[in-house]
Amino acid sequence: MRRFVLGVVVFLGGVFLPVLAQDAGAAISLEKCTLCHGKSEFRKLLIGGAIRDLFVTGDSLKGSVHEKKVCTDCHFDVNEIPHREAPKRVTCTHCHFKGNKEGAPQSDNVLAYFDSAHGKAIAAGNTKAPLCQDCHGNHQVLKVKNPGSTVSRFKVAETCGRCHLEIYAVYKTSIHGVALSKGNADAPSCTGCHGEHRIYAHTDPKSTVYATRVSGQCSKCHGSIAIMSKYGIEAEQVATYNESFHGVASKFGSRTVANCASCHGVHDIRPPDDPLSMVNPKNVPKTCGKCHPGANPNFAVGKIHVDAKKKESGIIYWTATFFKWLTIGTMLALVAHIFLDMYGRTRRLRGER
Amino acid sequence: MSHADLAAGKVIRMSLLFRVQHLLLTVLLTVLAITGFALMYHENSLAQWIIRLEGGVYNRGIVHRIAAVLLMANLVYHVFYMLLSREGRPELRQFFIGRQDIDDFFQSLRYNLGTAKEYPRFGKYGYKEKFQYWGASVGIVLISVTGIMLWAEGFSMRFFPKFILDLALIIHGYQGLLAFAVLFLWHLYNVHLHPSVFPMNPSWITGKVSAEWLRREHPLEYEKLKEEGLL
Repeated sequence: MRRFVLGVVVFLGGVFLPVLAQDAGAAISLEKCTLCHGKSEFRKLLIGGAIRDLFVTGDSLKGSVHEKKVCTDCHFDVNEIPHREAPKRVTCTHCHFKGNKEGAPQSDNVLAYFDSAHGKAIAAGNTKAPLCQDCHGNHQVLKVKNPGSTVSRFKVAETCGRCHLEIYAVYKTSIHGVALSKGNADAPSCTGCHGEHRIYAHTDPKSTVYATRVSGQCSKCHGSIAIMSKYGIEAEQVATYNESFHGVASKFGSRTVANCASCHGVHDIRPPDDPLSMVNPKNVPKTCGKCHPGANPNFAVGKIHVDAKKKESGIIYWTATFFKWLTIGTMLALVAHIFLDMYGRTRRLRGER
Repeated sequence: MSHADLAAGKVIRMSLLFRVQHLLLTVLLTVLAITGFALMYHENSLAQWIIRLEGGVYNRGIVHRIAAVLLMANLVYHVFYMLLSREGRPELRQFFIGRQDIDDFFQSLRYNLGTAKEYPRFGKYGYKEKFQYWGASVGIVLISVTGIMLWAEGFSMRFFPKFILDLALIIHGYQGLLAFAVLFLWHLYNVHLHPSVFPMNPSWITGKVSAEWLRREHPLEYEKLKEEGLL
């Protein structure tokens, strides 16, 4: 009997002691945190008069990708309760680095972020610049594919708009913003053009919206017949632009020449029949006038994106075709004449001899 | 014609002023072709290399326009010279296209095909030279007008609908291609590769041709000079 009791004690000890030891050492249990943070009125008055809610419960992480984590897994600088100083901002790279033992997913996006406009701002000491959690959410981090995620397709614009307020307001009424709000997955939100982690200032040559790269970025969708045919928009606008003076100059590195955004707008892109559109015939003189002083309503006469290789271009197509055949015809006639001339000439010389 | 020339059997075909005009035309057309086609065929890697060589699209445009202005100046000078100068007026008269040229053309065709016995006898300028001369003149005028329209794009856009500019661009480019192709094929054949002049008709440098060449290729001119006692 004694032996049995001893055995049971040893067995139970073997099962529970490591758990107890772990609790005492590494992590502070959720219950301890919620002693204070679990009170719904637990909040802090900030210097500016704003209120910071510090209310957290055991359900705060529920449903998120960090469901199984505890407070101090992220707030690892808290090692006594109550903590004397405000915990520092959470650093996601504590777990999300290559070869981590937690099995936390890791990608080069983290490194890309540090090189981005946001990452550089953080490094320069700008406390308003976003860290991972500012976009991905803090306690409720969800997978991107999850529609509830702050960085999901239909919600990311709103997330960016928390800081980029004015741009978001402009974007929301643009054709892309309206389409997105109607649940159209083809419409680009912020990240569609600016990239996700690799966001740079538009003046940075690395940016996907740098002057010479804008048309390439727009063409990702606007060059696709599959996407554009759904909306009755021509897919060759980018191709015709590339053939135009503007496009060629841009291709060879001119940063002052017009790209798509110069005429169509940036965040405020609207269809041409919208009176607020920059390419509405009424607004064309003003739009062209940005670079071509003295632009008058005559600038709006006629089609801008013209492809001389298409019959729809009318007289331009026919003139190009005429010249093509004139050149080919002249060439053939001349070659024929040259060979005839040589042939005749040999005979003439032979006759003279 | 000096006595030394006569003794050497040489005849002046291009005076110094014509040679200068011709040399300018050669150099400027080459510059215009290189800068122009580089832009027209900008997809091509060789064209891209040329544009880089010229210092980018912006500098390419400046080079192109400088050459264009010089070419137009050359053209204007040539027009005045042909209309007003003592040397130019008779030259221009010899360049008029007449019934004879059309007959000559068909006769040469028939001769080359073997149905005519005689090869046409040309004056100073045969139908080949006349075709080249007027073709180049019309081409340069057309390309100058469209080029100026495109150069003054702000002005043009204010007064013409955009398709006129599209048209100007098309004509400018294709006319350039046509002129270049004709020059390359036709002119190079006539003055370099043609068996009577191979490897080169020297008159564009020395201004002179041999009397023997003139007798064979331009017999009417040869006889005229003989009558006038210049040979």
